[in-house]
Amino acid sequence: MNFRRFTALLASVVAIVLVVIVVFLAAYAWPAVRLNGFHFLIDNSWNLGRQYGTPITVHGQEILPGAHYGILFLIAGTLLSTAIALAIAVPVGVGAALFLAEGVPPIMRSWLSFFVELLAAIPSVVFGLWGYVVVIPFLGHHLFPFMIKWLGFIPFFGGTPGSGYGLLTSGLVLTLMIVPLITATLRDALVSQPASLREAAVALGASRFETMWTVLMPAVRRVLIGSSILATGRALGETMAVLMVSGNALNILPNNIYQPISTMASFIVSQLDSAMQDPTGMAVRSLAEVALVLCLISIMVNGLARVLLYYEGRQAARIA
Amino acid sequence: MGNLTESEVIIGVPGPDRTIQDSVNEASKSALKIAVGHLNFHYGPRQVLFDISLEIPDRKITALIGPSGCGKSTFLRTLNRMHETVNGTRAEGEVLLDGQDIFAIDVVRLRRRVGMVFQKSNPFPKSIFENVAYGLKINRMANRSAIAEIVEKSLRRAALWDEVKDHLHKSAYSLSGGQQQRLCIARALAVDPEVLLLDEPCSALDPVATAKIEDLLLDLVSSCTIVIVTHNMQQAARVADYTGFFLLGKLIEFNKTDVIFKNPAQKETEDYITGRFG
Ligand SMILES: Nc1ncnc2c1ncn2[C@@H]1O[C@H](COP(=O)(O)OP(=O)(O)OP(=O)(O)O)[C@@H](O)[C@H]1O
Ligand SMILES: [Mg+2]
Repeated sequence: MNFRRFTALLASVVAIVLVVIVVFLAAYAWPAVRLNGFHFLIDNSWNLGRQYGTPITVHGQEILPGAHYGILFLIAGTLLSTAIALAIAVPVGVGAALFLAEGVPPIMRSWLSFFVELLAAIPSVVFGLWGYVVVIPFLGHHLFPFMIKWLGFIPFFGGTPGSGYGLLTSGLVLTLMIVPLITATLRDALVSQPASLREAAVALGASRFETMWTVLMPAVRRVLIGSSILATGRALGETMAVLMVSGNALNILPNNIYQPISTMASFIVSQLDSAMQDPTGMAVRSLAEVALVLCLISIMVNGLARVLLYYEGRQAARIA
Repeated sequence: MGNLTESEVIIGVPGPDRTIQDSVNEASKSALKIAVGHLNFHYGPRQVLFDISLEIPDRKITALIGPSGCGKSTFLRTLNRMHETVNGTRAEGEVLLDGQDIFAIDVVRLRRRVGMVFQKSNPFPKSIFENVAYGLKINRMANRSAIAEIVEKSLRRAALWDEVKDHLHKSAYSLSGGQQQRLCIARALAVDPEVLLLDEPCSALDPVATAKIEDLLLDLVSSCTIVIVTHNMQQAARVADYTGFFLLGKLIEFNKTDVIFKNPAQKETEDYITGRFG
């Protein structure tokens, strides 16, 4: 077997595994999909039913009496916490990458870059634990009251600070996890831009900042889009860190940024135990449906990335 | 050595109450664009230029020749302070642009007045139009029609307009090597520099593209002072009014090109131009 065939085989194995997983998930979740219907996505009610009641039959599926599955609050929690993380991490990551690539003396640069890469390698549960022990008390007692006092007039910034667990905290912990990802990728791309580009701009009288902003950043725009998408994927799927700081809200939508939430990934972990108690098995199947929705969202995000990169690529071919 | 001798400057007509010497001084002053005095240059601990003094005449082409590593690029880059982008460099001595100390002028203004074209063409990954407009945009010029006008004028001055006018919004990378280099010249010309520094601009080009750039320089010199580093002796002989010969960080000889090539004063110069070394 020659090398090309070998790599082709490997690539198809990866593709097949992916398809098998999604198909399996879909098949396993199918009874739940039939039972829950579209309301699964728009209802705020996750209720396992009376565990010792006699199972009843609804839409041809056996479930516990009172059981109902709707995960709007999970979708909202997942998307909102990821959105907050991205909104902070992209500008911070860009700034940090520019600083590392252009703003620090070379000796410090390699050390700082090394630390950024270390940060990217820290297991998420460590971030979660740190958030739990250090960040939450600080946020709950100091930062959130302060923000409510001074920024409370902005929609979703007012309200009660709560205990520190919640949407913004989850967003911040996710931010910490994805900033290194964006920074490291973007920094590498910036550093590999030819020095002659910088010289061209500087010789025309561009300041250091103008050179970065008008020449280097446009040259690495595709890398920025790509790394942001990867980061989005990571934030959407993050489980442990969010589980530890989100407050594990059930069936409510946050009406300000301080309130508890749950995300799909962390909910699957936190509910698996109780769901296993359901003798009809429908609770676990519904959790599988949560996983399926999460998968679909991730696939959609990646698809969006493809479209963006394709569009950007066409523009680049025409203009840049 | 280094300074223009009296016989080489254009002598003004002496008036009733002026001596010939006054006119000479005046004429040499007005014909002088850049005056370099006792320039020493260090990369960290290593000195690469030694006590360079030289006067670059206005609206003439001055060529700098010399063997590889003798400091031509370093000297050229000092003239618009590009050396400051490299850590650990130190330039001592005097460089006057129209009598003004370049180290006292705001560096951004200096680089607008003294443009630079590099050995390897380095267009931005942007459209042809955006490349030429870049210098205007970072100088806060916002008027679109004025920018378009200057872009056209600059491309014409760089003898590139006819070749690109139908696809200004295509990538600059779609141009040939020679066209890219002329684009870089157009980009430098867009901010209307008084001096244009070129560091071996033709070394990566074929003879046809080289000839185009040489013609272009001969056109441009009526409106701007040109300093060109070249390895190509014929090129210096063809385009330059004045030529300076560098060797091991020292300026060995500076004179009219004719004199340098036909009747050099220094033995090293003669050896170099007759190809005995370098
Ligand atoms: N960034 C730098 N750091 C340290 N030394 C340098 C640097 N750039 C150039 N030099 C040294 O300075 C000396 C002069 O270099 P320069 O590039 O000015 O020569 P040059 O005459 O332009 O040569 P060439 O004809 O090969 O382009 C060389 O010995 C070179 O090694
Ligand atoms: Mg050189």
